[in-house]
Amino acid sequence: MGQQGDFLQVLRECGYAVDDLCPPFNVSGPSAHAEITTGTTVFAIKYADGVLVAGDRRATAGNVVMYDRTDKVLELDRFSVMAIAGVPATAFEMARILEHSFKYYRRSQLQDLSFEGKLRALSTLLKNNAPAALAGTGTVAPIFAGYDQLEGCGKIFFYDILGAEFEAVEYAVSGSGSSTIRGILFYMNRWGSGPVAGMNEEDALTFVLRLMTSAAEFDSATGGVDAQAQLYPVVKRISPEGVRTIPAERLKSLFSEKVLNHV
Amino acid sequence: MYEEPYRWIEAVANRRNYLDDQFTQGNPLVGVSFAQGILLLTFNRGTEKIYEIYDRIALGGMGHPADLEKLRYTLLDMAHVEGFQRSPADVTASRLMKNGLAPVIKQAFEEIFKAPYIAKILLAEVGATQDRDRLFTINYDGMFEEQREFGLLAASPSIRGCLTQVWKNHSPLSSLQSAVEVSLRLWGIASHLQTSTPTSDSEEEGGTSSPATSMSTIPDDEAIASRIRETLSKEAVECVFLDRESGKMETYRVLSQSELQSFIPSVFQPPT
Repeated sequence: MGQQGDFLQVLRECGYAVDDLCPPFNVSGPSAHAEITTGTTVFAIKYADGVLVAGDRRATAGNVVMYDRTDKVLELDRFSVMAIAGVPATAFEMARILEHSFKYYRRSQLQDLSFEGKLRALSTLLKNNAPAALAGTGTVAPIFAGYDQLEGCGKIFFYDILGAEFEAVEYAVSGSGSSTIRGILFYMNRWGSGPVAGMNEEDALTFVLRLMTSAAEFDSATGGVDAQAQLYPVVKRISPEGVRTIPAERLKSLFSEKVLNHV
Repeated sequence: MYEEPYRWIEAVANRRNYLDDQFTQGNPLVGVSFAQGILLLTFNRGTEKIYEIYDRIALGGMGHPADLEKLRYTLLDMAHVEGFQRSPADVTASRLMKNGLAPVIKQAFEEIFKAPYIAKILLAEVGATQDRDRLFTINYDGMFEEQREFGLLAASPSIRGCLTQVWKNHSPLSSLQSAVEVSLRLWGIASHLQTSTPTSDSEEEGGTSSPATSMSTIPDDEAIASRIRETLSKEAVECVFLDRESGKMETYRVLSQSELQSFIPSVFQPPT
């Protein structure tokens, strides 16, 4: 089966439980029902030069802050990223599987997996994970963004926990802080000075930092920006050249100039 | 009838003769390590002979395309499962060669009722520093060798011994361009020797061939240049660079034809 470039099949053949990443436990009590919102804020927006994908860095367990340096925007290959919201163990495992699947396909078939093929791969993992998602123990609601080389444009997709994929026209949001920024994005596009999709890179980055700060203001599970601890969100830019991480220094200077002080 | 030991030995010897014959028409393949990375070079008549195996590992092959393809998949599966279940840092050419490739090729060679792999393979792994570069070559009988700077696939081992001597006397490789030039020249010598050496030079005798005697057979510069010019006019040069300084996890880069054109010295270029 490996001959068709299917890494999942290779993993199955060597006994890895790829179709059952997170066995649904028998959980009783308040967490036994499915929750789509999970403690985080990730989002992707289209702007003039491509797509920006951002994620806060906080990981929580209930009311406890577990970690403040999580990277939730994961590069899957040179042209695509997955921003994760949900149970980290399952989400990170999905990202690892996808990263290796894309590499395996490219090297074995001597061509890149198409953008649509990549979307389908993530959808398959989510679909196989449905029992765990419904039990609430393995819920993952990711955003997938990348550069479609066939069509020559950046694209954003978001998923529900069962694996349905939806293409976002302008932006996609996920996680517990998403309702705040969804409102802001709607407002900006409708009554703001211009659509977000027309912003230049500097304005778009400033906007991203402001969105993240707003999400953190109203959602305790979102880390936002902690300038004192030098903690900035992870922001990645997707353009025809591929994925590039925006350096923390750039975010730092934009934050102190345009976010901290009202301009 | 193969139950008798001498029959089996005879059958294996016949197999060597058969396989040696298969490689005489093949294109040699050169791998060199230098400061910036590892360069692999060969010529092809349409089917590629150099492939990416993992983040820092490339494969070069000589032989039957179907056999190469099968062995390539063995390596790809092994490398990616290992990289996924442990870490990409745990995937090494040494383990791929010793645990993955060598037993499979040796077994196929010695099972005289089945067809052997018509394949010789070079595995190159680029390290973080040059002293960690490795080049492994494996023969059709499963015998493999590990080298740090230079690897060659050619029809017979005596050519390899001879080329190793040439490699020792080469000018230092300071750039990608000089690596292409030297590799091309080494390829020219190997290709020339391959067509001028008698095919009776079987693996068993060749394994112990003394490089000193074969040094005298190295063709002169004009013969090398004319062989390269002649091949360039008919076949495509295939060249892969494992870039140590790529700054990314993935190091594999196929040099484009236009890039190669600018690297190949004019003395090797066919007249237009």
